[in-house]
Amino acid sequence: MKVDCEKLCPEWPCEQPEEFKNVWVLIEAFEGFISEPSLQMLTSGRKIADKLGEKLVGVLVGYRVSGFAEEIIKHGADEVIVVDDPGLETYYPRVYAHVIVSLARKYKPSVILAPATKRGRELAPYIANTLKAGITADCTDFDVDESTKDVLLIRPPFAAILLAFIKTPFRRPQIGTARPNVFPIPPRDEGRKGEVMYENVDVKLEDKMKLLSRKKLHRAEVGVEKAEVIVSGGRGLGSPEGFKLLENLAELLDGVVGASRKAVDAGWIEEYRQIGQTGRAVKSILYFAIGISGAAQHMIGVREAGRIIAVNIDPEAPIFTQSDYGIIGDYKEIIPALIEELKKLKEEGPKALEKYKST
Amino acid sequence: MRIAVGIKWVPNTQAVRFDPETGTLIRKGIPSIVNPHDLPAIEMALRLRDAVGGEVIAFTMAPPPAVKGLELALGMGVDRAILITDRVFAGADTLATSYVLANAISKVEREYGKVDLVVFGQETIDSSTAHIPGQVASWLDWPYVYYVKDIQVLGDGRIRVVRELEDYIEEYEIELPAVLGIAVRALKPRPVSLYNKLRAKLNKDTIVVWGNSELKLDPRCVGLKGSPTIVAKTIDMPEVPRKKEVYKPRDPRDAARWIVSKIVEDEKLRELLVKKLWGG
Ligand SMILES: Cc1cc2nc3c(=O)[nH]c(=O)nc-3n(C[C@H](O)[C@H](O)[C@H](O)COP(=O)(O)OP(=O)(O)OC[C@H]3O[C@@H](n4cnc5c(N)ncnc54)[C@H](O)[C@@H]3O)c2cc1C
Ligand SMILES: Nc1ncnc2c1ncn2[C@@H]1O[C@H](COP(=O)(O)O)[C@@H](O)[C@H]1O
Repeated sequence: MKVDCEKLCPEWPCEQPEEFKNVWVLIEAFEGFISEPSLQMLTSGRKIADKLGEKLVGVLVGYRVSGFAEEIIKHGADEVIVVDDPGLETYYPRVYAHVIVSLARKYKPSVILAPATKRGRELAPYIANTLKAGITADCTDFDVDESTKDVLLIRPPFAAILLAFIKTPFRRPQIGTARPNVFPIPPRDEGRKGEVMYENVDVKLEDKMKLLSRKKLHRAEVGVEKAEVIVSGGRGLGSPEGFKLLENLAELLDGVVGASRKAVDAGWIEEYRQIGQTGRAVKSILYFAIGISGAAQHMIGVREAGRIIAVNIDPEAPIFTQSDYGIIGDYKEIIPALIEELKKLKEEGPKALEKYKST
Repeated sequence: MRIAVGIKWVPNTQAVRFDPETGTLIRKGIPSIVNPHDLPAIEMALRLRDAVGGEVIAFTMAPPPAVKGLELALGMGVDRAILITDRVFAGADTLATSYVLANAISKVEREYGKVDLVVFGQETIDSSTAHIPGQVASWLDWPYVYYVKDIQVLGDGRIRVVRELEDYIEEYEIELPAVLGIAVRALKPRPVSLYNKLRAKLNKDTIVVWGNSELKLDPRCVGLKGSPTIVAKTIDMPEVPRKKEVYKPRDPRDAARWIVSKIVEDEKLRELLVKKLWGG
């Protein structure tokens, strides 16, 4: 499709979509770590790049980050563009954005994907706006319209009840983000080769803002994002003491406690444990939903979870049509019984598993 | 200090229900509310004003019924409110919305004087993109930070802000003017007061309405025309396939045994259980 420059907002550069090529994934690497959510975006990037017949390119911006380039290739990128500059030692949204914008102006990618971590959510719209490009947040899937080659950015607006298919027909790059844990990290291929391109960009330092301090938050265990077992509680627990019970169960199963928003709002449990649309997305193998009604905004956070076991006192609770194994009853009775059963089992050893078969 | 706070009038998505017969979304008659995540931003602006003086201006780009939302902000104690409304602004995506909002900030500066700070909520409950603050900052070319939990005015045109990322707490010093996104649970918003509501009612100039005859923006840059993204289609959220086995136990012990038996029957869960209980 030919873009008619006369019809375009004069604030936007007039460019034709066919001038743009390749799928970029912005890789976050801070303080010696490469962020997993950004590697997860390589899964979506690969899918789009293959459908478009274009290359998948990792974009690595920071200071002392060059060492990560190979890692990005091993996870599926064809090429990596690196900007490694002392001016990027401290992350400032505008400084990072301007570096990425100048790379995008030079290379003209057709697609830019970024992880919707908090930093990503801060950075991506600024980049999009500076390029006067469209951006779609929190995508849960991507596809390509075969006839127009437009990328379909698929996201759940309206509190996760709908899925919208977003297109950007006249503008490039097409920019999208996805929440951590919505996609898996592509498997690592040790032998994979690709080109690494080093770029020098004139880094415009931030003169209006200064980082005074950064403190790592001390959090007891593995985060909910990485847990294999999550025991989540909702408003149905009725009190913070309810979470003590869930902690006991979680501990027994070497799991982590999660929560619904209402439980967090009630002040019964820390905010970083919240699962769902405004919380985190998880991919545990086993997920317990205790006293959680099953609202769409909670359930969107557990789409990638394996089996869901629900305990709810209300037989009509929507959670029962969205879980694998549902128990109708009061958690105050059921969870202690389950803890006792598991403790006994643990003592008896693996042989005791046999007696549970086909009950 | 002059602080502008952006708010949005949104359908109360919490009130959305499914039609049990057809399984589709009932959207008719959903009441609208001020985006709940904007209330902490209003509260933050009011506290700063109360601490150092100045005025707080609430602004929204929306169809006329959103005036109700501005009235709520006035009821909380905001000094002035601006409804930005025009047919040509309709159908805007976040780029076109932010363009209008940024230009409205510039007009606020022409009409009322320099703006020191623009604060926004963390995200809206209907679209929850969290785009607007960053995009407005980009149009204005002002520094910005997101997920702000606390602001302290330092004087000499600078502020100190605390913001929380997934695993870090950061503290920044910022030279004004700046744009900030306020974290959802940063502060508890104050209730609407009758006194403030009356005060606003008595003063007819507290709510002004700006259309495109006031903002004078190129129609190609606003509304649907100024939006690079379009919604090609929407569908109901597809269900994740689940087993949906539901059991009403005879007693708690029966419930516990049922759960364990389900775990044991499922190969993956059985493996997981063995690993977790006996580390094997
Ligand atoms: C834009 C937006 C974003 C949101 N983001 C999130 C999010 O990220 N995460 C999230 O969780 N929610 C989110 N919500 C809120 C969501 O809509 C629901 O309100 C919330 O998930 C409900 O929490 P709940 O299930 O704990 O509470 P409720 O809906 O009140 O359910 C409590 C359940 O406990 C059961 N119960 C009561 N007593 C017992 C007992 N003794 N034993 C067993 N069961 C019992 C009840 O039957 C009921 O089903 C969001 C909403 C909006 C609009
Ligand atoms: N139409 C609007 N008018 C004024 N402010 C808005 C508007 N839309 C969004 N905002 C602000 O931008 C924040 C983020 O919104 P969103 O990008 O839609 O998630 C909201 O919390 C509001 O503070």
